[in-house]
Amino acid sequence: MIKVEKLSKTVPSGDGELRILKGIDLEIKAGQSAAIVGPSGSGKSTLLGLLAGLDSPSEGDVLLQGQSLASMSEDQRAALRARSVGFVFQSFQLLPSLTALENVMLPLELAGMEAPRQRASTLLEELELGHRQHHYPRLLSGGEQQRVAIARAFASEPAILFADEPTGNLDAKTGAHITELLFSLNRDKGTTLVLVTHEQGLADHCERVFEMYDGELSELPRQRPC
Amino acid sequence: MLKQWLRSWRGGELGLLCIALSLAVASVSGIAGFSERLQATMATQSRTFLAADHVLTSPRPIEPQWLDNARSEGLRTAQLVAFRTMVYASEEMLLVSMRAASASYPLRGELRAAKQMFADGEGVEHGPLAGEVWLDSRAMATLGITLGQTVEVGEKALVATRVLVDEPDRSSALNIYGPRGLMNLEDLGATEVVQPGSVVDYRYLFAGDDAAFAAYRQTLSASLLPGQKWLNIEDNQPALASALARAEEYLLLAASLTLALAGAAIALAAQRYGQRNIDAVALMKTLGASRRYILLHYLRQLLLVLLLASVLGGLVGVAVQYLLFVSLSDLVSATPPAGSLRPLWMAIVSAALCLLCFAMPPIVRLSRVSPVHVLRRDESLEGGVRLATAAGAAGLGLLMYWYSGDLSLVIALMLGCSVLLVAAAGVVLMALTGIRRLSRRLPGSVQRLAVSSIYRRRYANAFQTASIALALMVLVSLLLLRELLLKDWQQQVAEDTPNYFLINIADRDVEPLEAFLAERRIHHAGLYPMVRGRLVEIDNMPLQDIEGLETRNTGVDRELNLSWSEALPEDNQLIAGQWWSQAAEPLQTNPVSVEQELAQRLNITVGTALRFNVGGRDLTATVASLRQLDWASMRPNFYFLFPEDALRSYAGSYITSFYLDDSQRPLLVDLLGRYPTVSLIEIGAVLKQVQGVVAQLSRALAVVLLLVLVSALLISAANVMLSFQTRKQENALLRTLGARNRFLFAVVIGEFALLGALAGAVAGLGANFCLFFIQRWVMQSEVLLYWAAIPLASVAGAGILALLVLTSSQKMLRSSATVLLRGA
Repeated sequence: MIKVEKLSKTVPSGDGELRILKGIDLEIKAGQSAAIVGPSGSGKSTLLGLLAGLDSPSEGDVLLQGQSLASMSEDQRAALRARSVGFVFQSFQLLPSLTALENVMLPLELAGMEAPRQRASTLLEELELGHRQHHYPRLLSGGEQQRVAIARAFASEPAILFADEPTGNLDAKTGAHITELLFSLNRDKGTTLVLVTHEQGLADHCERVFEMYDGELSELPRQRPC
Repeated sequence: MLKQWLRSWRGGELGLLCIALSLAVASVSGIAGFSERLQATMATQSRTFLAADHVLTSPRPIEPQWLDNARSEGLRTAQLVAFRTMVYASEEMLLVSMRAASASYPLRGELRAAKQMFADGEGVEHGPLAGEVWLDSRAMATLGITLGQTVEVGEKALVATRVLVDEPDRSSALNIYGPRGLMNLEDLGATEVVQPGSVVDYRYLFAGDDAAFAAYRQTLSASLLPGQKWLNIEDNQPALASALARAEEYLLLAASLTLALAGAAIALAAQRYGQRNIDAVALMKTLGASRRYILLHYLRQLLLVLLLASVLGGLVGVAVQYLLFVSLSDLVSATPPAGSLRPLWMAIVSAALCLLCFAMPPIVRLSRVSPVHVLRRDESLEGGVRLATAAGAAGLGLLMYWYSGDLSLVIALMLGCSVLLVAAAGVVLMALTGIRRLSRRLPGSVQRLAVSSIYRRRYANAFQTASIALALMVLVSLLLLRELLLKDWQQQVAEDTPNYFLINIADRDVEPLEAFLAERRIHHAGLYPMVRGRLVEIDNMPLQDIEGLETRNTGVDRELNLSWSEALPEDNQLIAGQWWSQAAEPLQTNPVSVEQELAQRLNITVGTALRFNVGGRDLTATVASLRQLDWASMRPNFYFLFPEDALRSYAGSYITSFYLDDSQRPLLVDLLGRYPTVSLIEIGAVLKQVQGVVAQLSRALAVVLLLVLVSALLISAANVMLSFQTRKQENALLRTLGARNRFLFAVVIGEFALLGALAGAVAGLGANFCLFFIQRWVMQSEVLLYWAAIPLASVAGAGILALLVLTSSQKMLRSSATVLLRGA
């Protein structure tokens, strides 16, 4: 499902170049869940950006569903994301100018799916947000906003879901609720889940855990099954 | 600090601020500087028309002591005596409008003389010497003499040494259309033509320092006798001067409006500048910076911008002045006086005031940002719009009043702008609510996203759209106004407009003269009879007894030209009543047709009884019709037209006009030789001058229009820029969700095109409103509106904004989507 070969990322820095990622290899199978943990500045978010095709690597390649991102144009990568990739962000990233319903409809429309309104509405009902459908993000609580974001991420039934610190901005109780939601949807829809987190609790839910340290990735042995 | 300044510069908003300020400085210093120099040039030209700085006219000679006093005050003086006299050649004689001038004449302007008849001649230092006389071509042709021959003026024989072409104060001659002559004042006594009871006009010319003259005039004021009066420059303003004065008003108006537009751009750029500096201010405060420190910090940055803008704007201002003078070079023939530094100071003070009024409100708000913002990023500078608008409007009003000194103009402009702003905001809000509701039912996320994105910022958008609408309105108003002025001017001067008038054509000369012209293929405007008469009564009431009738202002306090015609003249239009040759039944006895504007002024309608005095005889008539005339056609036109038999018995002459090109001019010698009693009036030179005015003023207006266009684009750019920060985030998200470039382009272009179209429509409406106001109250002309400007401006507005976004949004759209992962 996700295959990474010798992935490197170098950025220019004050006196020379800074290697953020140093030749990373990784393979995650369809339906698996994986967590990437590590200290701040270790390169977790950079890796996530490369995996999703938001950024281009300096060396190496990422294959999503067997397709090489390196050989694609920006628009082709966008089209692939619209079809197969969902996203959940730490700061929710809902469009403030759209209602909850419209935010969920957006990826469906971008992927050219049918009946986007109905699908989005059903999904929000499932997440117990039916009564908040026509509210703007600023009127929703943090937990509600993240649930809308999760609905948006799962709306187009993507094969892969990337999550960047999905509970980072939430209190412990809401965070736990969101974690549960994320993994139950992941199970129900058979989605491949890759998440970046600081929280051990969240990482523990995953089948596989990778640690990023100084631009290098290593898989940690599992303490207990997910 | 410089480093920080440079960083802000790269952010874009300081650059925009600087461009907007430079534009303000350039337009004010350029236009005000031009206007100052133009005024000086015009004053010089006006003095030329007096041949002096000041003139005292008197029906009798003044005390010689008065002139000595003037000279002792340091003033230069000259004398002129104007009278009419018969001039005798060997076989011919002619009544000539003669002027005797002292050696120092003229004090200002140029005397022109030629060595052959009907030539343009050249400027000469002084007039004829004692024993000489200069006669104009017409007098020489009629008298049948050539240069070097002797003529007699009264008892004195004088030698014709030059052909008189032009005197600067030619219009002060006793009969400006008759044959003219100039002689030396020393010979006047010997001619013995000035006798007690002669009609003689004495003119005393003065030139020199204004203060010295003021003192001199003060000492003389008590001694002036009835009939002696001073002539002011204003009395001698020719039509050209009034055209230039109007152009000057237009230029100052344009400068004020450019300033208003630049001000709006400054306000928008400052708003964004403030917005982008919230984080920095919160951080500085967390680290212990006081409010005062922060205010001073940003003030210093703005001062640097002002400094740079003053230099840049000043340089561009010099270029603008140069461009304006080049485009008017033939018109303001005198070399423009050196410009002063006052316009530049004026411009810098204006720019500083603009900065204070438009850029300070967001900076003041910025200084109030709470340090807690570093932890909770929810501060925004939005909402300071009201304060900024009020401060900006007050500053602008002050500046406009400073430039124009015309309170009603400032009020009109400010009112127009406020109405437009409120109307634009209202229309935009209503339109957006409607469109938003509609877009919810539409499939397709592009439209919905574009609309909802505008809708969310609807109040800010209403303000921004209004500012673009204002810019467009100014542009559309100026375009329409220019169109109007040009049309107005051009109508007056078609290429083959007659350039010569023949008057005083005797009855017996009519047929031979027509044959003479026909033989030479000269097309004339028709020969019209002309009887001189004075209007004395309206409805049996003597004119002087009619209440509220100012005969001086209505132009009926002098002898009028009455004429007759069986048919309605070609370019006359019947407004009311019936024309005698077309009337179904015979009209009452002695019908008369009256020009409609005069009729309006005299309160005359069809059926009013009029009484004229024609050469001492009474003529009564009843108004049968009112006519509209085209006075600018340069064809003989008459206030009063009668049927032929009504005027036949009164002695009169004929008048006609025709067009002659330069190569046909020698014909005139022949014509005047054959018909010596006919008077020739040459208006070709005046017409050429007017044609030049039209061409050149339109060029000058184009320069100004360019300034306004740049400021309109600046506002649009500031608007686009202002929204980029929020847009950057939004686009990154959309891209992450799988939106392609085309989609993002469509959203952003759709959004701005919609705003542009709305702004254009409101601008078209506002421009018509302004046009109505300007035509009705400022120009006091006929009101012409252009409704087509609304859809046209709407399309233009959409186009301009879409294009601007297309060229400037590339970078923003290309920004990497990874910003979202970095919590930016």
